[in-house]
Amino acid sequence: MLAGGAASLALGMPMPARARDTPIKIALITSLSGPFASLGESMRAGLSLYMEEIGHQMGGRPVKLLVEDDQGKPDEAVRKVRKLLSQDKADVLCGVISAAAALAIRDIVADAQALTFISNASANALAREAASPYIFRPTKTSWMLGHTSALWAYEHLAKQGGMTLASDYAAGREYIGDFKTTYTERGGQLDRQVWTPLGTSDFAPIIMNIAAANPAFVYAFLPGSDAVRFLQQMRDYQLHGKVRIMGPGALLDQEDVLPAAGDAGLGGLNTFHQSPDAPSSAAFAQAYKKSRNRLPGEASTSGYATGQVIKAGLDAVNGDVSRKADIKTRLLDGAVETAFGPMQFDPRNNQAVLDIYVNEVRANDDGVPLNTVIHTYKGIRDPGPSA
Amino acid sequence: MSYYLVQSLNALSFSVLLLLTGLGLALVLNLMNFINLAHGSFFLLGGYVAIQWLASGAPWWLAFPAAFLLTAVIGLVLDRLAFARFYARPHLMQVLLTYGLSVVFADLMRWGFSADTLSPALPAILRGGVWIAGLPFPSYRLFLIGIGLLLALTLWYALDKTLWGAALRACVIDRDIVETLGLNARKIFSAGMALAAGLAGLGGALGAGMLSAYPGLDEEVLILALLVVVTGGLDNFKGTVACAVLLGFVTTFSRVWWPEFANFITLAIMAGVLVAYPDGLVTRGGRKA
Repeated sequence: MLAGGAASLALGMPMPARARDTPIKIALITSLSGPFASLGESMRAGLSLYMEEIGHQMGGRPVKLLVEDDQGKPDEAVRKVRKLLSQDKADVLCGVISAAAALAIRDIVADAQALTFISNASANALAREAASPYIFRPTKTSWMLGHTSALWAYEHLAKQGGMTLASDYAAGREYIGDFKTTYTERGGQLDRQVWTPLGTSDFAPIIMNIAAANPAFVYAFLPGSDAVRFLQQMRDYQLHGKVRIMGPGALLDQEDVLPAAGDAGLGGLNTFHQSPDAPSSAAFAQAYKKSRNRLPGEASTSGYATGQVIKAGLDAVNGDVSRKADIKTRLLDGAVETAFGPMQFDPRNNQAVLDIYVNEVRANDDGVPLNTVIHTYKGIRDPGPSA
Repeated sequence: MSYYLVQSLNALSFSVLLLLTGLGLALVLNLMNFINLAHGSFFLLGGYVAIQWLASGAPWWLAFPAAFLLTAVIGLVLDRLAFARFYARPHLMQVLLTYGLSVVFADLMRWGFSADTLSPALPAILRGGVWIAGLPFPSYRLFLIGIGLLLALTLWYALDKTLWGAALRACVIDRDIVETLGLNARKIFSAGMALAAGLAGLGGALGAGMLSAYPGLDEEVLILALLVVVTGGLDNFKGTVACAVLLGFVTTFSRVWWPEFANFITLAIMAGVLVAYPDGLVTRGGRKA
């Protein structure tokens, strides 16, 4: 305590000595039940792992992690955020898996000017009309993945004769829409676009139509168990390896989809800001494998990288969370090294500018399907408010 | 031509899947007049048991009896602990009890089997495919169609044609008379509940090869099962089969032609059936339970 007081005197900080010992409260809003439970648990595991690695210290102060379950529901997320702000007096908010939940809490955290880090939700709007001065997005937008997929598909797969297949909800519409825009702008021509309800249990009828159409590739977005079923049923109908599958990374997520899909995922392509194979992710992937005996996917890496970003911000102000403007300056001024890769924030909308990897699922030395980086699109930046 | 043949087989395999989801529920709801909203939990548990069994390396074909037995035992325990006191109570009380249990089960299963999507490691013999008129069709679905039809036939015979089935139905209609005849209604109900839970578990074990297993599947299955059983007609087993086939074909062919409206079309047709036949697709006629 004496040492802490001396340090704050020496640095001329306004913070009283006692405050340096009270923990900074970081609240993680994630889904521990409901449709995103598996992603939510991975996110918590990623952030907890980071907290352990740094000894629960940021900016020289102890950090306390509060975890709340939003059940994947917007109204529940709103309730939990209100509680965290008014009752628990959380200093920093982070997490949120679902885009609907992220959009629902946007006004509350924006009005409260709470320092918020949206770790996973990809809705484009949060980098555009719904951006806010103290909401940071240490993750991708749908556009960053749809756009880069289109670049790759146009250059390396085919200039025409591809089709799309996606779950018919907001995220699916965004990914496919952004893919189509970039792909057709370059001069590509897409054939059929197929939408299927979220939670489709049997893809066989659609797969037969894919077989009949024999497309040059299928650009697909299906989350979680839908992706597992689609990939396995493609294999059951002998189309695996015959029709090229590409998608945003969630289609072939290393943690959420590939362990269950198994060999059916091999050969799939995706564009993603995450790959356990990327050099920036190597140390984290190893530590994560040690703690949970599995390779990290997007959600766990999001949790970890969010921790890295928050620490960079808090270190710059020596743990004085009231200096929000200085934290923001730090994050806008230079890139933070994260498990996703170098992360630079865009001053227009606090959206991360990220390297996007093109991953191909290949069997690694142990025969495990692994998202292997085959190309990197450097510094992809969402069009932001101008879009 | 072969395209439509294979799409029809797809529809048939989906019908069987729907039938599997509805088997156990048909028994408790149709014959025992008990609303069991924990039905989906038994289904999912059966799926998890089969997945664990197949991963353990024990003989694969025992996975299905194992799932049946384990869920049947749990059904029996629940019958003794809780359900028995609710058979004679109003439906709303049964809904409260079983819905509460389903929430508890969902949490227990997430804790025990993780929140990840799990897929069974099927044996090589079920994993391959066959070619039908030049188009591929998975062996597992043929297996599913065969087993499903066999199960449906056995159940129909056991419930509609044997004395045991008659006794079970009689217990619901007039328990006192059945007991006057010297039958132990309490034990008959217990056996019925165990059988229903076992069938749900078996359905889950067989269905896991197509659906995988994950938290939330219990609710999805419960809705499908209610749709099949209620629309089929609440007083007989044939209706459940007929409705599973109708629903399977409607869903599959709406996915063939208008995939984005698949859910809408399916539910609209089911609603239409209920409006046209408020007592269900197939009714016994005359007798009212």
